[in-house]
Amino acid sequence: MANVGASRVRNALFVVFRYGLLLVIAAAIVVPILFAVLGGFKNAGQIAASPIALPNPWILTNYVDALTSESFWQQLGNSALVAAVTTTLVVLFAALAAFVFARRAFPGREVAYTLFTLGLLFPSAVAVLPLFILMRDLGLLDNPIGLALPQAAFGLPLTIIILRPFFRNIPTELEDAAAIDGCSSFGFFWRILLPLSRPILAAVAVLAVVSSWNQFLLPLVMLNTESNWTLPLGVTNFSTQYTTDTARILAYTTLAMIPALAVYVVAERQLVGGLTAGSVKG
Amino acid sequence: MSPLRRAAGLLAATALVSAACATGGGSGTATPAGPSAAPTASQGASATASAAPSAAAVEIDWYHIQNNDPGKALWQELADEYTAEHPNVTINLNVNENEAFKTKLATLVQSNTPPDLFQSWGGGGLREQVEAGLVQDITAGVADWQDTINPGAMGMYQVDGKQYGIPFDLGLVGFWYNTDQFEDAGITEPPATWADLLTAVQALKDAGLTPMALAGGDTWTGAFYWAYLAVRECGQEGMDNAVVTGDWSDPCFVKAGEDFVELIETEPFQEGFLAAKWDGAGSGAASMATGNGAMQLMGQWLPGTVAANSDDPENPPEWLGWFPFPSVDGGAGAATDGLGGGNGFAVGRDAPPETIDFLRFLVSEDAANRWGALNTGILPTTVGTEGSVTDPQLVDVLAGRAEAEFVQLYLDQATTPDLGAAINEAVATLYAGTGTPESVAAAINEFAQQ
Amino acid sequence: MNSRLNPSRRDRLGRERLTTILLFLLPALILYAIFVLLPIVQAMRFSFFDWNGLQPLTDFVGLDNYVRALTNSVFQGAVGHNVFVIVLSLAIQIPFALGLALLLSRRFKGRGVLRLLFFAPYVIAEVITGVIWTLMLQPNGLADGLLTGAGLGDLYSPWLADPNTVMAAMFVIISWKYFGFHMILLLAGLQQIPSELEEAAAIDGATRFQATRYVVLPLLGPTLRVSVFLSMIGALQLFDLIWVTTGGGPVNASNTMATYMFDWGFERHQLGYGSAVAVILFIFALVVGLAYQRWVLRRDVDGALTGGAA
Repeated sequence: MANVGASRVRNALFVVFRYGLLLVIAAAIVVPILFAVLGGFKNAGQIAASPIALPNPWILTNYVDALTSESFWQQLGNSALVAAVTTTLVVLFAALAAFVFARRAFPGREVAYTLFTLGLLFPSAVAVLPLFILMRDLGLLDNPIGLALPQAAFGLPLTIIILRPFFRNIPTELEDAAAIDGCSSFGFFWRILLPLSRPILAAVAVLAVVSSWNQFLLPLVMLNTESNWTLPLGVTNFSTQYTTDTARILAYTTLAMIPALAVYVVAERQLVGGLTAGSVKG
Repeated sequence: MSPLRRAAGLLAATALVSAACATGGGSGTATPAGPSAAPTASQGASATASAAPSAAAVEIDWYHIQNNDPGKALWQELADEYTAEHPNVTINLNVNENEAFKTKLATLVQSNTPPDLFQSWGGGGLREQVEAGLVQDITAGVADWQDTINPGAMGMYQVDGKQYGIPFDLGLVGFWYNTDQFEDAGITEPPATWADLLTAVQALKDAGLTPMALAGGDTWTGAFYWAYLAVRECGQEGMDNAVVTGDWSDPCFVKAGEDFVELIETEPFQEGFLAAKWDGAGSGAASMATGNGAMQLMGQWLPGTVAANSDDPENPPEWLGWFPFPSVDGGAGAATDGLGGGNGFAVGRDAPPETIDFLRFLVSEDAANRWGALNTGILPTTVGTEGSVTDPQLVDVLAGRAEAEFVQLYLDQATTPDLGAAINEAVATLYAGTGTPESVAAAINEFAQQ
Repeated sequence: MNSRLNPSRRDRLGRERLTTILLFLLPALILYAIFVLLPIVQAMRFSFFDWNGLQPLTDFVGLDNYVRALTNSVFQGAVGHNVFVIVLSLAIQIPFALGLALLLSRRFKGRGVLRLLFFAPYVIAEVITGVIWTLMLQPNGLADGLLTGAGLGDLYSPWLADPNTVMAAMFVIISWKYFGFHMILLLAGLQQIPSELEEAAAIDGATRFQATRYVVLPLLGPTLRVSVFLSMIGALQLFDLIWVTTGGGPVNASNTMATYMFDWGFERHQLGYGSAVAVILFIFALVVGLAYQRWVLRRDVDGALTGGAA
């Protein structure tokens, strides 16, 4: 009995400790974000004069102008389209590749795998020029879908590296059982492995969306027409040769962040899960 | 470089009739083949040819960086007006922010497809493009109207005596100052000499004020000091010689560093200036807007940026005044010599001949007057249009420009981009406290000699 | 299990499998070869030329660009800054992300909101991160205000403006921005560990700490190793955040290899030299990556090869 009591106290202490710690960390993380959100309610003068004060007066035009401007919604649509295509391609293709890297032995496997990691090791900015020429030759310039191809390609290394150990961890017994039931390799991959890997697929999908969402250099050189621009390109219009409107940029990017966070919220359900635990045990 | 001052009236009389724009795509070749020499010849022909009614369709890809209204709208209006009169011409506008444009242009020219008409700052960057055969020699095409443009500004767009671009804006760097704070510190006259400036700094410090705002995080701002002092110490001849031959070993450049160190040692700059960008959060402009910095050595765009960092983004503060860079005793340069630069357009290698005609339209008296009247800090270069600028602060800068016999283009634009960056970086070691006047001059010279 | 098959059947299976394997690999391989490998190989070629990006590639200089970079003191400093970030990331950032992931993997009230908040910095664009932190760290910014308010005003200094402190300040910003990336990976990893195992440990009398230390952490190993790997590579490639916040300054005190590369290749139009720096950075990363794969990640791979579950 004493034992149970002690453990109960310990548990209570742990809960208090956990909440306390999390609150401190949450504050450290939230305050800068709040800064950005509130900064959007100021004008540049207020930001310059007293960066830490609350807006006074509250200025709504930065947010209202963004929300009522046609270009914002257009850019949002383009960003969403590019992100959706990029993410679909990168997650699907990387999962296929990671599956054989994780669960099949074949000659040259490690060489091929290393080849895929190389893309992560080379600063991609330098490859922009050859890439631009390639895209031009392929007639894919100024095309949001075309932009998704190199973006997805550059996302492959990271995604494959992340997925591989996860796929590896799915017990072999499951695959053996599936094989006995007449499941082909693809059948096992599609019907068993992918559903079981929902948490990590959700994670890499979120990472792919965020990375596509914030891409600047590639869209900048690839997209010409303003109606094809993505959100990060739109933000540049709040700067000129000599002046940057910090307040507007903060408002614009705060709004631009929301869809990406919404994707996270949806994916987060998969990360919480619980469904998978039982079946993984096999 | 040629003198800037011109008898405005005389040149205003030079026929700059927009009717001249009626010349058009007579030649009918949208993309002249061959290297830069060939198109020049065909332009010469087309400029004199009369407009053919059935002119072939022509497209002009135009990249500019005035990405905000009212400037953006004005360019659009002008393009529309031009195409209305020349139905065979289509103008494809590409409007990008300054930094975004630079990246984009780099990719375009590196892939060997320069735009037809694009933002240029002249100087060493243009020279690189010329040497790579990416821009057109337009000397012949502009011969009959080149006198309508400020010759000093035109000179910045010449390489080896040939014209490769046309400026539409030329500004001057000078000291912007807070007249209220000068008054508080008991300074009645803007400093005329370098010694006066040091005295003023002391007076401001004594009054508990921050004498100067410096955007040390953007090294080009600090380089203005050194460059201006070099212009004072070395004079036009010394500067031209160094820029053209790459020999920066003249002791006058060490002297410039010594003068600058004199100022630095008074610790005139705001707290944390080494991280301050020119603009935006925690910047030099924001500093000055909030009274933390009574002076700032900067171009004609400062009022607009300080305003943008104040509660009244449309109107520059009334306390803002301008005085020219002080004279330096014993230097070879004149007190009126300036340091400046501006904006212009270069014509791409494959541009159709109509591009030059369109360019002429963009710097016509009418267009320049409309630019001036916006008072955005674009100071028109078309002779006789200076009066269109009415903003009192900009009028001061224009007066300084008119007095200057010689305007040195910003060093990071006069030289190649890599040498320019090396100069900025070397000068930064002075105010970061890690370099000496000798080491700065030596580093620049060594780099230039490579 | 079918790992012991007679030779003829294994051959048939092997052939069938090779085709299947190729089909699985092909989509990724094609996309990757065209849009990543090909441009990278082309870019590597630049590094052997003295090239400003405008003229044709004619001025072949062999390894000159490499020698110049390796003997340049600014570049050497940049390498040091990369190492600084790697070491601190492994020592501070990863353990921090791990701790948070462990805390957030348990069910409690408010967990969803906290997970969202903690991930938010990763979603914010680098440019904005730079703006926000500049505002917070500048004189009369938040840090200054808080310390002064607490009577500790003397402790404040403009850290980003001081060559001696700028890297430490940058590390705080880097951690704030990127720990969410590792957190989300580790959360997914924890999700894969059956909760029954922990419960079983608890029934056997293990404390929460013991269960975590001896049951959860070993099972999280593969994810953790990937996280460490990506953290090291990320620190080597560190670019955006530094570029927009300090531009590598003051006086090169926060340059990394990648900002140095960008500065020279793109701002100064020395694309040949910049490419050489990129290749050097690539080789650094390759050495680190291969070494890590060989000695650490190998364990995960070996398991797959032998076909047995852990």
